[in-house]
Amino acid sequence: MAVVREKGYAHWDGSLAGRRFPWLPITRTGIRLAFRKKGFKLALASAFLPAFVALGGLYVSERLEDFKGLVQSNRALLKIDPAYFQLFLTGYPLYFILIVVLSFAGAGLVAEDLKHNALQLYFARPLSKRDYVLGKVSVVAFFVILLTGLPWILLVAFKLIFAGNLAFLAAYPWLPLSILGQTALLTLFFGSYVLLLSASSRNTRYVIVLIFGVFYFSSVLSAILRGIFRSPAMILFSLPENLRQAGAALFGGKLPHAVPVVWSFLVLAGICALAVAVLARKVRSVEVIK
Amino acid sequence: MTAVISAVKLSKWYGNVLGLNDVSLEIEAGITGLLGPNGAGKSTFMKLATGQLKPNIGTVAIHGRRTWNAPDLFRTVGFCPEPDAFYEDVTGFEFVAGLLRFYGFPKKEIGERADRALDIVDLSKDKDRLVRGYSRGMRQRVKFAQAIAHDPEVIILDEPLSGLDPLGKRKLIKLIKGFKEEGRTVLVSSHVLPEIEALTSRVVLLHQGKVLAEGDVPYIRELIEAHPHMISVRSSDPRRLAARFVGDPAVLKMTFGADGRTLVVETRNRDHLFGGLTAAVVESGIEVEEISSPDDNLQAVFEYLVGK
Amino acid sequence: MTVRSAAREVFGFFFVLGRRTGRTRTFALLGLIPVALAVVARVFLRGRSGDLAAVSTEILMVFFLQFYIIILALFYGTSIAAEEVENRTLVYLITRPVPKPAIVLGKFAAYTGLMGGMTALGLAASFFILNAARLGDPALWATFFRYLGVLFLGVLAYTAFFAFLGTVLKRAIILGLIFGFGWETAIQYFPGSTQRFSIVHYLKSLLPYRAGSGGGRGVALLLFRLEPTAPILAVLALVGITAGFLALTCGLFRAKEYLSED
Repeated sequence: MAVVREKGYAHWDGSLAGRRFPWLPITRTGIRLAFRKKGFKLALASAFLPAFVALGGLYVSERLEDFKGLVQSNRALLKIDPAYFQLFLTGYPLYFILIVVLSFAGAGLVAEDLKHNALQLYFARPLSKRDYVLGKVSVVAFFVILLTGLPWILLVAFKLIFAGNLAFLAAYPWLPLSILGQTALLTLFFGSYVLLLSASSRNTRYVIVLIFGVFYFSSVLSAILRGIFRSPAMILFSLPENLRQAGAALFGGKLPHAVPVVWSFLVLAGICALAVAVLARKVRSVEVIK
Repeated sequence: MTAVISAVKLSKWYGNVLGLNDVSLEIEAGITGLLGPNGAGKSTFMKLATGQLKPNIGTVAIHGRRTWNAPDLFRTVGFCPEPDAFYEDVTGFEFVAGLLRFYGFPKKEIGERADRALDIVDLSKDKDRLVRGYSRGMRQRVKFAQAIAHDPEVIILDEPLSGLDPLGKRKLIKLIKGFKEEGRTVLVSSHVLPEIEALTSRVVLLHQGKVLAEGDVPYIRELIEAHPHMISVRSSDPRRLAARFVGDPAVLKMTFGADGRTLVVETRNRDHLFGGLTAAVVESGIEVEEISSPDDNLQAVFEYLVGK
Repeated sequence: MTVRSAAREVFGFFFVLGRRTGRTRTFALLGLIPVALAVVARVFLRGRSGDLAAVSTEILMVFFLQFYIIILALFYGTSIAAEEVENRTLVYLITRPVPKPAIVLGKFAAYTGLMGGMTALGLAASFFILNAARLGDPALWATFFRYLGVLFLGVLAYTAFFAFLGTVLKRAIILGLIFGFGWETAIQYFPGSTQRFSIVHYLKSLLPYRAGSGGGRGVALLLFRLEPTAPILAVLALVGITAGFLALTCGLFRAKEYLSED
């Protein structure tokens, strides 16, 4: 009617079956352990660089005429001046990378707290709404600065070191400020943008789609409107183009579009204001159920 | 009696963590309680038994059929999961009726079954409200409703009483006991011992992925020889009663209760003690008000087995 | 229950559920933005019928083909498995007498139905507003149905691919976004047969015009460096992609066990 078993380790008394490849678990574990070592992933990724360079060479060999034209029309790529920094710090590739990184790091910042009703836990501590938002924005700021301001200020330093003198800085003394200004702009914008969308849903997957979708849809919308109205002012509908305009102003370069830059700053400020309004509404310790 | 749910050398790993360790069980018709602290392996066993997880080693079967990738089996099995998770944008009725569609019932019958199940759990009044707006207790009840709506023979309930108020718990306990009368098999898990005790005396005790004990609680208690039985006697003169037992070699220890009227005796031989107690009462004329076994319950059995 | 009948019930359940969510409403509204743009274009481009045609036949297709259906398919495709696991509702499906492949097929059908409806509504409304003057022209209708066919095939193929990703990977949506907006865009710059390793190549091959045959700026955008595949082969490829990835998804979903994070 009853059975009581002793606690403790129970030896396996079933039959042991052999594996077809008994050495395989050893191999799998060894590889897994290698990946756990710090720096290994970076080292492994770097090891593929020659192969990627070779792949690039293969590609160029098939599109030789295009590349000849590209080099001729873009000699500017070889000239290091503020326009060089502006090109990289206000370009679509950087925005794409930021969007990917912030989708990983930022999409769930508020969404997960809303999903799990964690706001009550936060505000049961001596934490104000301002502290909460500041903490969340700082996460976004960390990654934006890591990918923009930090490497590009270091690149200025490397330029000076490679040149062996301070002539570059003497020629463009405001360049570091431009870089910092652009970093601050991107931090403020992406911090607001990501938190605005993260606060708009409890579903992190949906927020990731919104982060990508709204950013790139604005470009598509802008292109369509430009096709209809043939007016450069339609770029104001495009978030990346507004960032490019504002960035060009910060670097003192030529504006990409014939639109007053103050409008672009106003659009970006509008996004920030909207984020503040939405966060003020959504971030609260008590959930109101209608 | 043939086993309804049977597990043979069942083991399950989550990466390097062992969830269940070489568990062999046979669960017969009636109510069986699956008991253990958090992390004991109760939910793991239930997920294996309901085909949500695949065993790493061993087998688990219902009516002799292995549960992994055996959807037809679930015609006669109902499961009430533990997590508080739902399709939130539907009403309680739509939730239960929607899941009933998957059994192939005609449309009219789906409506009737859903209404009946919701009525059983006292949700008829709120059946047209969105699940999103339900209280914790209502959500637990609608979860239970979806588990029983298709009249399953085997009902597996993972912490069914969590989130319910005392009245709700009583109603559900009564309902579950009713299933036993109908000849169904119910496996119910909990880490709250009094809830299991209220439902059944047949338990399986799990701890750290292993089965510590299984069977009827009193019989389990009998088998725990390492721990002497405690007999509590409340009388008019406990000290005079104690004096009668001091020289008895079967008595290991005696303590007096704070109320000054209770004597608690520890012994390895309960029957011998009861014999001696009867004789002592008759000879001394002491008035005995109450005799009880403080450790003949699930809590004590579990604590002895787990060693806490 | 057979896979077919079970899939039918799953379809019915999730079609109704999918229609109700706020996200579906948001995506449907997104699909109506071209309608608003079409109205704006008609008002502002009155008398410039050539420009109107350019807007309708090219720019709108850029929106639908290279943005809208990718966003929809990505969200709904990855939701087939991932949504159930994240919301911990998978248990309600797999503890029913429903074969696991039927869950995949039923949800696929439900979501592609919803997406097809949203796409058709947006395209039809915007297309016919822009081409209201030519409604009696059979060639216009032929073009419209060809566009619709291309978009439906795109929805099916992308959804099947993203469903597979969602079944295999935990963070499928980010990889899906990189595929949808990175790979599918960048592939047009790749030489030789590389283009054939994308879904958008086969969709563009089915568009009712070829590079150099005339059109506005949007044509150049859509057909940039396109080395088209023959239409029959393109359709077969898209059907094959859909069927292949659906089969893989069903097989994986059946074999895989899903652990919730609690």
